Amino acid sequence: MAGIVGLAAGILLTAGSVLAVRSWTSTAAQHLIEPEKEKPKVAVADQAEVAYCTPQFKQVLERVLHSCGLAAEGEGARRGCKPSDVKTFASISDDDFNALFTPLKDRGGVVLFDEGKDDLDDNAKKLLEERWFARKGARYFFVVARASKTGSPSKNNALSHRRANSVMFFLKQLSNDPEIEQKVGLLWLGNEFAQLSKEYCSWPNSRMNEKCDDEPINRSAFVSWVDCRL
Amino acid sequence: MFSRGSKAPAVIALVASVLGLIFASSSTLDYAAHLDRRLHNVHCSFIPGASADPKAEACRAAMYSPYSALLKDQYWGGIPISLFGLGAFCFFAAFALYLLLAGEKTSRRTLGFFALLGTTPLLVSLLMLTISITQLGQICKTCAGIYISSALLAFGAVTAWLSARGDASRPSISFALVPAWLVGLGVTALAPAVVYAASAPDQRPYITQCGEIKQAKIKGDSPVKIRGARAVQPTMLFEDPLCPTCKAFHDRLVAENIIEKLDIELVLFPLDNECNWMLDSALHPGACIVSKAVLCGEGNARQVLEWAYDQQEYLTRAGKAGENTLRAAIKQRWGESLLRCVDDKKTDVRLNNHLHFASENNIPVSTPQMYLGKRRVCDEDTDLGLRFTLSQLAPEVLK
Repeated sequence: MAGIVGLAAGILLTAGSVLAVRSWTSTAAQHLIEPEKEKPKVAVADQAEVAYCTPQFKQVLERVLHSCGLAAEGEGARRGCKPSDVKTFASISDDDFNALFTPLKDRGGVVLFDEGKDDLDDNAKKLLEERWFARKGARYFFVVARASKTGSPSKNNALSHRRANSVMFFLKQLSNDPEIEQKVGLLWLGNEFAQLSKEYCSWPNSRMNEKCDDEPINRSAFVSWVDCRL
Repeated sequence: MFSRGSKAPAVIALVASVLGLIFASSSTLDYAAHLDRRLHNVHCSFIPGASADPKAEACRAAMYSPYSALLKDQYWGGIPISLFGLGAFCFFAAFALYLLLAGEKTSRRTLGFFALLGTTPLLVSLLMLTISITQLGQICKTCAGIYISSALLAFGAVTAWLSARGDASRPSISFALVPAWLVGLGVTALAPAVVYAASAPDQRPYITQCGEIKQAKIKGDSPVKIRGARAVQPTMLFEDPLCPTCKAFHDRLVAENIIEKLDIELVLFPLDNECNWMLDSALHPGACIVSKAVLCGEGNARQVLEWAYDQQEYLTRAGKAGENTLRAAIKQRWGESLLRCVDDKKTDVRLNNHLHFASENNIPVSTPQMYLGKRRVCDEDTDLGLRFTLSQLAPEVLK
């Protein structure tokens, strides 16, 4: 009798185990073909996108990218934007254009130049180096060069262009990055558009200890990484 | 220990077998549940039948380890060894019940057989316990439940036999029953495993569904190269040296000797917002600095990475204590020159390039991630299904 009970128990337990295993694998197989109702969301890696990336700001920057050659690749890609281009594509008043960059006050910096010159002094190089290496999640580095509030437009255009190129040349040397052309956006403005008022003297700049008003602040290049997905 | 004719040893063996059955069921259930490729809580308690626990790291580590299952190349996740325990404990429970009911009518040969076979789960348990301690460095509670049940079963079986020694009044039985019992044990031990193997869902359609990397090379930089001694498979890994899951994954690659077959491009992806803008807060504080140390390791990058994994608990505490504690640990182990490299702005740029590479490829913000060539290995295929997935996507790695 004990033998029969033992045998029956063995058969029942084994059958129960087998059925349980079958049930567990079947349940898993069923889950496998059913979409998960509450699938945990996994963030996807992407460039930084911070609060100042308003639609208007991004629109202007995107126009810069497309009009100034950053979005294009290859040898023939055009580098930089002339003031006339900026006026056209920005479709925005001078003050509104400058205001767009206000959130970049601490992220960026203003490199100041001597009158009529495009050479970078040591403090300018130091500021550029600090800002360049603080890239974090930004994809594009913008350089907005200016010349003077006075003088002829053609002379200012040329000087502004040389200042933008000075910054670019230094960044190339600094970074040794073969992809730099796809990262740096250059704008050079003459005195016909978006000149800075002396309030911008309070922004981090390369000559913090020198006298600043609305003339020196426009002998400058504003530089900053931009934490927007464009 | 027990008086002649005492039923206590049979009761102990029966209780032990039922306990073993419950623990083996919990372990098997956890394994089977993961066949749906989702994350589940794992049973990890000394209390039989206790609910699954989301923080059951020791049991999860045991489950993901190479020692938890057989035939991992042929079946996704393999055939869990708990299935054999499940079947065997069915046999021993039934046999103990028979001994309990038969009492003094049980032959000494029967008790001898039970004593002999009743110790086998204990021997297997001792082997697994040794592996747990020496290879995994931790013991899962559910596994310990099986070990204790096995010890109790062996105790009950042996004492049942000892208490009947010299009892000439017991009947004798034919030797022919012994092979029959052995066949019974074999059938019960194998039956759950056979059913599991036959009914486990086919994972092959799913292992290629996790996409591909868009851009295979880091712009303007290079990943860390870790080339195995017999490298045959180009592989890209995204890892965070302070991520416990990365450490477990790396340990699996080493334990299964897979790492030597991989030609690895390691991309550092620290989950620390000190350098990684994709996070609002640091999941692994200090991971940016340790990642830079790996970058600075250059030819010794694997050694630095493995040091970080070996010392992960300490480095994690150091990371929380502050940058200087972490830097001191790096300096103590790797010297002043490596620390200078860690502090160099160029290393910041290199790490930043790695993070930008991740963002340009829009990879999930999680670690570890494995790419065989360009194909992404799904997360669930980097743990339970690793060997099966490799056997399907890169079979030469397992040869």
